[in-house]
Amino acid sequence: MSHRTITRRDFLKVASAGPLAGALAPALARPAGVPAEKARVVLVRNEDALDPSGAPKAEVIQAMLDDAVRALVGEKDVVKAWKTLIRPEDTVGIKTNVWGKLPTTAEVEQAITRRVMDAGVPEDRLSVDDRGVLRNPIFQKATALINARPARTHQWSGMGSCIKNYIMFTPQPSAWHGDTCADLAGIWNLPEVKGKTRLNVLVMLTPLFHMIGTQQYNKDFTWAYKGLIVSRDPVAADATGLRVLEAKRREHFQDDGLLKPTPHHIQLAETRHHLGVSDPARIELVKLGWSEGLLI
Amino acid sequence: MSQPTVPGPRLLASYIPVSAGPWLSEADQVFDAGTIFDYIDGAGEVYRSYNMKHLVARRFHKDGRPDIVVDAFDMGSAADAFGVFTHDLDGADAAIGQGSTYRAGLLSFWKDRYFLSVYAEEETAETKALVLELGRMIAAAIPGAGETPGLLRLLPEEGLEAGRVRFFHNHSVLNYHFYVADADILRLGQKADAVLAAYRDSGGRSRLLVVSYADAPAAALAGASFAGAYLAGDRRGAGQKTASGKWTAFRVRGRLVAVVFDASSEAAARYRLDAVERLIDGEKRGE
Repeated sequence: MSHRTITRRDFLKVASAGPLAGALAPALARPAGVPAEKARVVLVRNEDALDPSGAPKAEVIQAMLDDAVRALVGEKDVVKAWKTLIRPEDTVGIKTNVWGKLPTTAEVEQAITRRVMDAGVPEDRLSVDDRGVLRNPIFQKATALINARPARTHQWSGMGSCIKNYIMFTPQPSAWHGDTCADLAGIWNLPEVKGKTRLNVLVMLTPLFHMIGTQQYNKDFTWAYKGLIVSRDPVAADATGLRVLEAKRREHFQDDGLLKPTPHHIQLAETRHHLGVSDPARIELVKLGWSEGLLI
Repeated sequence: MSQPTVPGPRLLASYIPVSAGPWLSEADQVFDAGTIFDYIDGAGEVYRSYNMKHLVARRFHKDGRPDIVVDAFDMGSAADAFGVFTHDLDGADAAIGQGSTYRAGLLSFWKDRYFLSVYAEEETAETKALVLELGRMIAAAIPGAGETPGLLRLLPEEGLEAGRVRFFHNHSVLNYHFYVADADILRLGQKADAVLAAYRDSGGRSRLLVVSYADAPAAALAGASFAGAYLAGDRRGAGQKTASGKWTAFRVRGRLVAVVFDASSEAAARYRLDAVERLIDGEKRGE
């Protein structure tokens, strides 16, 4: 895909207009075709989401997800709310993330599974998978996808995002690594996924805000944020999660907080691929629950 | 019988102890540039960008204690072992190998053509001591020593910030350390050698990038590309002021391109580039 080169000089011109603009350097202009309306994102937090060992409490996670989906679709009844997302005749793939150090968690998977079944989808037309999605018959036949993964920094893409979580739908994930994963949103145009995603859940229970070394994980760089970010729009969900990660980094490192490498795939998902909204000014953020240490 | 040019992973594995105090090792996992994604997903691109040959991963386990993981990379050359070490320089010098850092349970060091990461899944006084001891044992077992890239000799010492020198090949890694452009406007590809250094003077922090290309025509093309994309076509590269009020300038000399970013003045940029040119001349004279 051809596009004009964005240089540091462009970045500086935008940055001189304000600090946030600098972080959004690749999104210098919203192209024609990108909707002007706001994308709704729900950030729900619960101080009691984790047990003393740091493990998620299933019943609290369920309640958090329910509250978020109700607020997202504007429906008081949780099953009715899910029925606006999932039809009984759907075949549903729940794309999770099994990275051992920081997985989506079984509790989040189970909370989603329960509500998909409550919406009328039988167990035999529902599957939870990550690395095996291309070989999974349910995912091959899926009419609906739910995308759930934890938020974390990433050594090549900048951020492990909802957008990035679909890389396992490609036979050769490394083919999407160019320019530090700039065009990950292009995956969302593949027939396996295009137009199928009904909900994105960015898990913010214990996000990873910094990484070191080959293993990319150190518990010292996680914190108990005890949140979930839920949206129909994966770009808006990721842009919101990114704000939280960068705010945490500013607090911890006392610097600009920007991620390295820049997770520009999030902004480019809007400006180049028109997948969703990355500009915080055009995101309607609904905050629910525990507000201490909210950061944004 | 001809000798293999790349030592196998078995030799690399032989440098790693089979136990670490009461911690016992599990079976090794071996990866190459084609399979490293199976181990660390997309993060493998960092090591691929430095032309990695093999990775031997050995996990040490003791019930009830945090695991310790040794990731030993054969990078194929000392320059690339040094380069991948410079990708993350945060931490305190641990005086291990030919350069090392320790931070939060992670020891990184390089020696000869090898880059080592020794990592405790949780830092305790006991695991920190073991990580450092493992590192010392591995460094002692690696028999040779390697040379740092010759390009480092073209960095003027005046104002150079120690611990902020990076060696790399491609524009993604350049952008990681210092964002220049989304496209590869310096035509680094994967074959150029590049060194990026930070300088501090009364005008603040500036950057010096020196790139070595395959030949002079390649450098000339890179200079023209940079001028066109970054300096509005100013091929002389004498200096332009950016929106931040800082100056950018570049010069092409043979197969080398030197760029100063964020200099406090046009004169400061010229001063740094003049210093680089003197070092280039010194290299040519064999000084």
